[in-house]
Amino acid sequence: MTAGNPPASGSTSGSGVALPHILGPIRPRPRMTEAKLFALVALTLLVGRVSLSLTERGTFELADARGLGVYLGVLLAAHVAQVLAGRRSDQVLLPTVGLLGGISLLLMQRLPQDLVTLDVAGSTLGLGDVQLLWLCLAIVGATTIGLVVRSDRWLRRYKYTWAVVGIILLLLTFVFGSEVAGQRLTLRIGPFSGQPSELLKVILVIFLAGYLSENRPLLIEQDTRLGPFRLPPLAYLAPMLAMWAIALGVVVVQRDLGAALLFFAVFLALAYAATGRLSLVVIGLVLFLAGSTVMAQMFDHVRDRINIWIDPFADPLGAGYQIVQSLHAFARGGLLGTGLGAGLPTVGGRLPIPEIHTDFPLAALGEELGLVGVVAILGCFLVIVQRGLRIGAAAADDFRAILATGLALVIGVQAFIIAAGNLKVLPLTGVTLPFISYGGSSLLANAIVIGLLLALSDRGVEPPPAPSPVGRDGWRARRRLRSRRRLGAA
Amino acid sequence: MDALLVVVWAVRLAFLALLFVFLLRVMRVLLRDLRAAAREPAGLLGRLVVVASPAGDPEEGRSFDLDVITTLGRDVNNAIVIDDQFASSDHAVLTYRGRSWYVEDLGSTNGTFVNGRPAAAVAPIGFGDELGIGQVRLRLERARSG
Repeated sequence: MTAGNPPASGSTSGSGVALPHILGPIRPRPRMTEAKLFALVALTLLVGRVSLSLTERGTFELADARGLGVYLGVLLAAHVAQVLAGRRSDQVLLPTVGLLGGISLLLMQRLPQDLVTLDVAGSTLGLGDVQLLWLCLAIVGATTIGLVVRSDRWLRRYKYTWAVVGIILLLLTFVFGSEVAGQRLTLRIGPFSGQPSELLKVILVIFLAGYLSENRPLLIEQDTRLGPFRLPPLAYLAPMLAMWAIALGVVVVQRDLGAALLFFAVFLALAYAATGRLSLVVIGLVLFLAGSTVMAQMFDHVRDRINIWIDPFADPLGAGYQIVQSLHAFARGGLLGTGLGAGLPTVGGRLPIPEIHTDFPLAALGEELGLVGVVAILGCFLVIVQRGLRIGAAAADDFRAILATGLALVIGVQAFIIAAGNLKVLPLTGVTLPFISYGGSSLLANAIVIGLLLALSDRGVEPPPAPSPVGRDGWRARRRLRSRRRLGAA
Repeated sequence: MDALLVVVWAVRLAFLALLFVFLLRVMRVLLRDLRAAAREPAGLLGRLVVVASPAGDPEEGRSFDLDVITTLGRDVNNAIVIDDQFASSDHAVLTYRGRSWYVEDLGSTNGTFVNGRPAAAVAPIGFGDELGIGQVRLRLERARSG
């Protein structure tokens, strides 16, 4: 029965300008749970590294663990930074992400190093070192966002601006994107290249959180009857149709089935989470099925994917090669796996599974760690989703609740789509496995997601801003309110 | 060679086991967190925080835990007593129906406002919205956790 923010509300009424609550005194605060989990992560990864070295060369030298040492150092720095800042944010997210990233590092160090090369200052970095670089950047990025973001106003207020940024990114990729393996995903700006769809998923969640939280009462309250269905007012379905069109556009122009599936699934889940209306989900699914049936008739690349999914063994050396090899890898792994480093090396000079480091890391891990290892990895993703939903349930208002839910679902759904693709549960689509696949765009975008979740979980963040009137004449009412406030102040 | 093989397998199994030790430790943390949230006695549905109150009763910053039906007004028999000269004795009632909060004006003289707009007979109200009764403004917030 006390005030929500004791330091701010009591003391600021005096003379002079008191520091805002968010910049209050910074007191280091121990994070014992996180420290213990980080210690366990370090031990696990070291044992993994020893296992890898013993399998590959029969001995283990300290020099082998140099890359891992750097990575663990960055994790330690992230922990210390949070302790010093005295934040009461989530203590489970970073260790879990750290474990997944560490497994990714071990895998990339084990795969042939010439899959990816990067020339830096005269020396050439191989796959493992490049991934190490991205992983460290991702951990630093997530921690920085978690510490620096103390207010969500810049996300909440400019939701339509974010939507426009997202659409511009999409259009830029349509027009200037370069095609890699039949998919137009990569955008090059000067020396930088990246996959905008990874960033787009974060922007999509921010926009949806803003839109749904503002219009939630209207979406829940009003009805339009259409036969047996009770729909929200038609005007509020427009963004939903736009979303559907964008998803289909991504499939047609970018040939990116995975991103389209991810966007649409997250959209439906959030619409349901915000309104509790099952009719939205039913309509969305019907639209999606109709759309994909038509697409499968019209476009070869969609039909190919579905045919491969139904029977990869029809053309095991051609179209179905990747997925057949992936299934064999899982089968070789069995229950306990062959051990890190003991999976099949290159067969006849080429990789057993093409694109193993981006699209099939789970197959590689399934072979070397077995069912037991894969279950543990999927368990880590479940933990991330649980934390996100929990942060959402404890959030102070609708915007933060929907935002946290969406951020958690984006990671969970993406992991599910690619894991199911590798296992032939769903048609294979080229999304990355979060925190495990090789790739800078993917790691950095997911780092932003984790950073925002950390920021949202902090109990000391700025309280949500005063709400503004919603609905059709909301804009006018807001202006009236603002002018009234100005008059009152004068 | 055989000894090495045994060591290699021991290390491999240790790695797999450690993955699960980590998951178990995380599970324990999550369970403790959920139990703590479940033990939270009152205010599970939400709370009203007083944002502005010129007359001083209720005082600003005070927070009220809400029941499924919470009445507001000047009369002392209301769950939340609002001693403001522009509030009616039975002013409004907040109800939690299914999955959302609603506010209903009980025929008050000066009306009930949601985010500065007069509320219709029964108006939905979300977390973060501001309720205006007389000169008093109250914000609906989620129940605190942890």
